[in-house]
Amino acid sequence: MKAAIQHALFGLLCLILSNAQAVEKITLQLDFIPDIEDGKTTFGVCARCHLPEAWGNADGTYPQLAGQHVNVLMKQLLDIRKGTRHSSLMFPFVQERTIGGYQELSNVVAYISTLPMNPAHSKGPWQQGTAEYKQGKKIYQEFCASCHGENGQGNNELVYPKLQGQHFRYMSQQLGRIKSGLREVHPAMQAVVQKLDLEQLDKAVNYASYFAVPKEDMAVSKTWRNPDF
Amino acid sequence: MENKDKNKLSRRRFLKAGVTAGALSCISDPLQAAAAEGASKSKAAQLPFAIRKLLNKAILPAAKGARVVVVGGGWSGLTMAKYLKIHNPAFDVVLIDKRPEFISFPASNSWLADQINLDFLTHSYIDAAKSHNYNFLNATVLGFDREAKKVFTSNGYINYDYMVLAPGIEYDYSRIGVDDPAAQVQLYNNYPGGFVNSSELITIKRKLHTFKGGTFILNVPNGEYRCTAAPYERACMAAAIFKQRGIKAKILLLDMNAEIRIKKQGFEKAFSSLYSDYINYLPSSEISQIDIEEKAVSTDFDDYQFDDAIIYPPVRASSLLEDAGIANMKTAQKTANTDPYKYHVIGDEYVYVTGDSRSQPFSKGGHTANSEAQYVAEVIAAHALGKSVRWRSPQTMCFSAVDINPLKAMSIITFYKFNKKNKEFEFDRTHMMEDWNTEGGQASLAWAEGMYRDMFYK
Repeated sequence: MKAAIQHALFGLLCLILSNAQAVEKITLQLDFIPDIEDGKTTFGVCARCHLPEAWGNADGTYPQLAGQHVNVLMKQLLDIRKGTRHSSLMFPFVQERTIGGYQELSNVVAYISTLPMNPAHSKGPWQQGTAEYKQGKKIYQEFCASCHGENGQGNNELVYPKLQGQHFRYMSQQLGRIKSGLREVHPAMQAVVQKLDLEQLDKAVNYASYFAVPKEDMAVSKTWRNPDF
Repeated sequence: MENKDKNKLSRRRFLKAGVTAGALSCISDPLQAAAAEGASKSKAAQLPFAIRKLLNKAILPAAKGARVVVVGGGWSGLTMAKYLKIHNPAFDVVLIDKRPEFISFPASNSWLADQINLDFLTHSYIDAAKSHNYNFLNATVLGFDREAKKVFTSNGYINYDYMVLAPGIEYDYSRIGVDDPAAQVQLYNNYPGGFVNSSELITIKRKLHTFKGGTFILNVPNGEYRCTAAPYERACMAAAIFKQRGIKAKILLLDMNAEIRIKKQGFEKAFSSLYSDYINYLPSSEISQIDIEEKAVSTDFDDYQFDDAIIYPPVRASSLLEDAGIANMKTAQKTANTDPYKYHVIGDEYVYVTGDSRSQPFSKGGHTANSEAQYVAEVIAAHALGKSVRWRSPQTMCFSAVDINPLKAMSIITFYKFNKKNKEFEFDRTHMMEDWNTEGGQASLAWAEGMYRDMFYK
């Protein structure tokens, strides 16, 4: 990967001045050139649960990581590290003392981005042509498409997750977690999730689960196995 | 949903409540009458102290919502209590365990070999309850009255709307030819298995670090015993300890199974490449008799003398299931007849069985219990709303320490699916990483830390 992975770090600097309580926010942007070989070694630990293909599973307990934008993956790792995204089990795995610093996170994220996507991800219960599918399409286009894209392609620069190829149940469960406060997200996303009820949200992600994944992004078959592990 | 008959305790019900025969025999008829509805205080006062205690209500904050009593604070019960509150904050959840603190069995083999300290494994039920907004009752469960929806404990009784039984396992010494209860106790006290009570672990650690040399017997039970990889992992850790101590010791690993049950290639390689001077692996070694005086173990093929041993008998579901009147004594592990997907007792949708005492053949271990309980908590929360939840498979994530200083481990993850043709659960999507390394060792500790975090902390 030639392009550097960029991510903004928001730090707080407390300036201790006489009689003053000035707190200024400092925004840094750092660039890292990922080392994919090193990322592969690190991913060996991730693969113990996420499996070497990082394809996730139909019941929604693991997401498809393959094909996801690097900045989105990075943000999730940092959110879990901070605790704004609750994942007790992943928490110790993404700490500086275990996985390393931003460079190591960049490496593993870059490695994941080299993996082809699951050609048979699981879709929602309402197929094209059903009333629910159509309702979902309308909801998606009204509330979701402006950020996540008409085809769920997301946006790496703006850190909008790609929805193409994501398992229906994973998306459904995450929306439930966002709604109940177990996962903190961008205020705009939070507002949408609060505005819609769980049924509407399910219909929207049902629609998203039927987005076509570009052929060039997919593995040759669903029996493809990652030769690195 | 409060019970109308909560004060009723007829003789018939008392019998059903599963109080042991010994306790029952001391209740004469007048006393029995006193225990029944409407008994005056003076008559109740005539009851033996132990019985009076049973008739007191356990001291707990008043239930605001439907009360869910979780029996057993292991990996299943702890996870259950937390996720019940997450999926239905209106539930009043009470977790009962007889132990005052939690000591983790998963990762304990690494502790035997001094790769982690006891603090790493030890956690507080008070912290768990406080972090996740439920009540912890430190008490021993003595019996049940399922008709009146009561659990009797050493600290009084509790009424429940839902009850989850996650009491774990007991050893079944009869399956290695030791039938006499006194002999079973003697065997347990001399050569504890290390899979039920934390004192067993402490004894085992002392044994391994003070062993003077000679033959040390370890065994692998058959059937669905707790933690499939652990006896092999323990052999590795015991060998690593002996190797480090530089003593002349031979571990006889008597496997009641025909071959290594899990991570076979990894363990075979470890036995031959790291511990060939220490471990003598003997498959198909069904223990038929143990002579404690003579320090001898007999299998169908041979007799073995030993200097010390850790005897891990086959296991069965906790006898609390019998006390609750739901154990099917015809099943190999005396498990309950439960719905394989929804986990409730057949005919009683208010009583559930999870964790290592479940009737499904899922691997008995921490991660399985944790992932299963997350799902069953959702099932119960949905049931209270008249809804249902789509079944999802538990996951079995299992690390095995192979070498020490630094700790090196391998791992396996597997899921389950129901085979409709054979009408049984089978493994689905198993991924093994049998090349042990330090990354695996660190991952095994991060995994344990993550699980403790899930169960005990915010």
